[in-house]
Amino acid sequence: MATNLKPTDVVVVGLGAAGGVAVLPLTRAGLKVTALEAGSWMQPSDFKADEIHNNVRRRVTTGTKVWDEIPTFRTSPDQQARQGAAPTMMNAVGGTSIHYYANSWRFHPWDFKVRSETLRRYGANAIPKGSTVEDWPLTYDDLESYYDTIEYEIGVSGKAGNIKGFINPKGNVFEGPRSREYPMPPLRDTEFTDMLQASARKAGFSPHRSPAAINSQPRDGRSPCAYHGYCDTGGCHVKAKNSTAVTTIPAAQKTKNLTIVERAHVTRILTDDNGKTTGALYIKDGQEFFQPAKVVLLASYTYENVRMMLLSKSKAFPNGLANNHGQVGKHYIGHWANREVTALFPFDLNLWYGANAQGVVVNNWADDSFDHTGLGFIGGASLTINHELHPIAASSMPTFNRAPQWGAKWKKFVAENANRWVGAYAQCNSLPYENTWLDLDPEVKDKLGDPVCRITSGPKENEPRASAHAAAKAEAWFRAAGAIEVITVPNTVGPNLSTHAVGGTRMGAKPESSVVDRWGFAHESPNLGILGGSVLGTHGARNPTLTIQALAWRTAEHLVKNWKTLAG
Amino acid sequence: MSITRRTVLASATLIPLAAITKAQSPATTLSPDQRQTLDALIDRLIPKDELGPGAVEAGVGDYIDRCLADYLAAEKPLFLEGLSNLDVYCLRTQKIAFATLTPAQRDAVLTDIENNQAPNLRGFFNRVRRLTLEGMFGDPVYGGNKNFAGWDLIRYPGAKLAAGPEDQSMKTPPKPYRKELYGAGANHGH
Repeated sequence: MATNLKPTDVVVVGLGAAGGVAVLPLTRAGLKVTALEAGSWMQPSDFKADEIHNNVRRRVTTGTKVWDEIPTFRTSPDQQARQGAAPTMMNAVGGTSIHYYANSWRFHPWDFKVRSETLRRYGANAIPKGSTVEDWPLTYDDLESYYDTIEYEIGVSGKAGNIKGFINPKGNVFEGPRSREYPMPPLRDTEFTDMLQASARKAGFSPHRSPAAINSQPRDGRSPCAYHGYCDTGGCHVKAKNSTAVTTIPAAQKTKNLTIVERAHVTRILTDDNGKTTGALYIKDGQEFFQPAKVVLLASYTYENVRMMLLSKSKAFPNGLANNHGQVGKHYIGHWANREVTALFPFDLNLWYGANAQGVVVNNWADDSFDHTGLGFIGGASLTINHELHPIAASSMPTFNRAPQWGAKWKKFVAENANRWVGAYAQCNSLPYENTWLDLDPEVKDKLGDPVCRITSGPKENEPRASAHAAAKAEAWFRAAGAIEVITVPNTVGPNLSTHAVGGTRMGAKPESSVVDRWGFAHESPNLGILGGSVLGTHGARNPTLTIQALAWRTAEHLVKNWKTLAG
Repeated sequence: MSITRRTVLASATLIPLAAITKAQSPATTLSPDQRQTLDALIDRLIPKDELGPGAVEAGVGDYIDRCLADYLAAEKPLFLEGLSNLDVYCLRTQKIAFATLTPAQRDAVLTDIENNQAPNLRGFFNRVRRLTLEGMFGDPVYGGNKNFAGWDLIRYPGAKLAAGPEDQSMKTPPKPYRKELYGAGANHGH
């Protein structure tokens, strides 16, 4: 029997990249917020300059319950889905914003209106077959001020390419107009990033430095990046990575309006007979509790947002929370992103130190920034080449048909070349499709006996074509930089489990084709807000976190402004 | 007792001596025969030569043995089956166990495995190769990469807590930094 707790204004389920942002405007407005987080606080001493700790044993990213909740995956409905090998999410205060690369991109204005722009420019036949893509119910301009808020609240380093229409070629000239410069300059330039920028220009591209939620200078009493090379899948030992655990969450705590419950494993969202949510049921240290609240904000990772809703069946929602139109789990998108082009250089690159987000990016071949007439696809991919190489990963390099995989000849090859290779990261604009969705696995269950999330992801034509087009450009870039070997392993099947998983509770105008409205509140349950990647309707050609955070802030602000209507 | 860096650090932080002793001799799990077979295998993956120590000299056997005793304990039965299958294959084709073959003969066996002539050994071979890379190039605190042999081989300058602009130069390689960040009895990674 669950213990009933004292009611609160807002319960936030999951205190990660999204929930960790939303609590700040809520608590600043004086609302009492209880955040239920399955993990615990992590400390700088938990984070090591150690590849085995971070990347092999995944000590930072392994949370208290994620290993039991790894989704299953299949490529067609007649297959039995198999459980993935490793979790793509984590449990901790701050969530994956603790260990992510911290690439902090705005989506391109095109991402918000792929459908109408494609119809306008290329005609109906250009919409990829089987895609369920719709325009978002908001535009880039609607989100601009929220992007700006997040960039300044958490701290993002970068160089603007477009301030109110004024183009600066040192930044991303293809980006949507922004209202002002980034709060911090980009992470440190190096001889490598200089070389990549010069070679990209030589190839006719428009390179710029990666935007990163990492301090390039001291900020708010915290240190700048130490560039020690263990940012990927590791937390920051000097608090220079601006996870919500060191930025918005502590700021919200200062208001005294935030209660954080660690190790709270939320099992269900409850609703009354009218379909309004009443609070969250959770287990902590073996005890079951019910936290009543006037508003529930579901803010976990895409797979878990969808799973929680499908598990939370009630009289009002026999098919799962806010799912009377059968849209929960639909329009799921695994980001088509991969390092498929790899180059070997005749000189040392010395990429060991630095951060993943200390990179150079080419955006010429993404979005609708080039004419797609006759190409057979829409969208494209951004291309990133960056610092940070760990020794085990370095020695696991491809041998470019120049050496065997072991023995003295291999040893000689890696001795010479482990310090001389790098891959280009191609991230595609990715769309929702009829053949790709999430539901509950009929067989695989977590420790509590609840089914895990199941991914069904059928074949696609548009994304592999866009990816191959961009890969050829990456090769040209590498050649211009002096590479002596370039190999491309085409990404034709896309992701299975994704660390950039979005959609599943997408935002839209109609309950017949979406789950939440343009503010992030469920069409069918007015006091249920959804935060996180699951509300995205398309995936841009870049990392999704900043967009997720801008939307989370916007949803929270909307709740504050409309408290009486939404909570009443 | 001689004054070593470990004892100095230990007294400075008041770690009980028993804890240090334990940290210095982590659990292992392979029998001498099993370890001999493993060493004979990893010696061919990364042999000792003019470029420097091989996997055996760098402690990769210790790394794998410790993994199987602890972090990869669940994998141990499958791993032992692989070691045993390797000997079965050699006894069948060469009449003697893997560890007693000459280096050239061992290379021939491994080539057979790579070419799927011994298909039940392919997965085991891939796993040992992966663990060998981890042991050779991972942090020395886990038992491998002794004296930073792996890092010297590939010119990895070393794990440290901060890197300056000079450390990121392409043209002027940074000086190797060869101190163990997490040694001295640190209960690290467990």
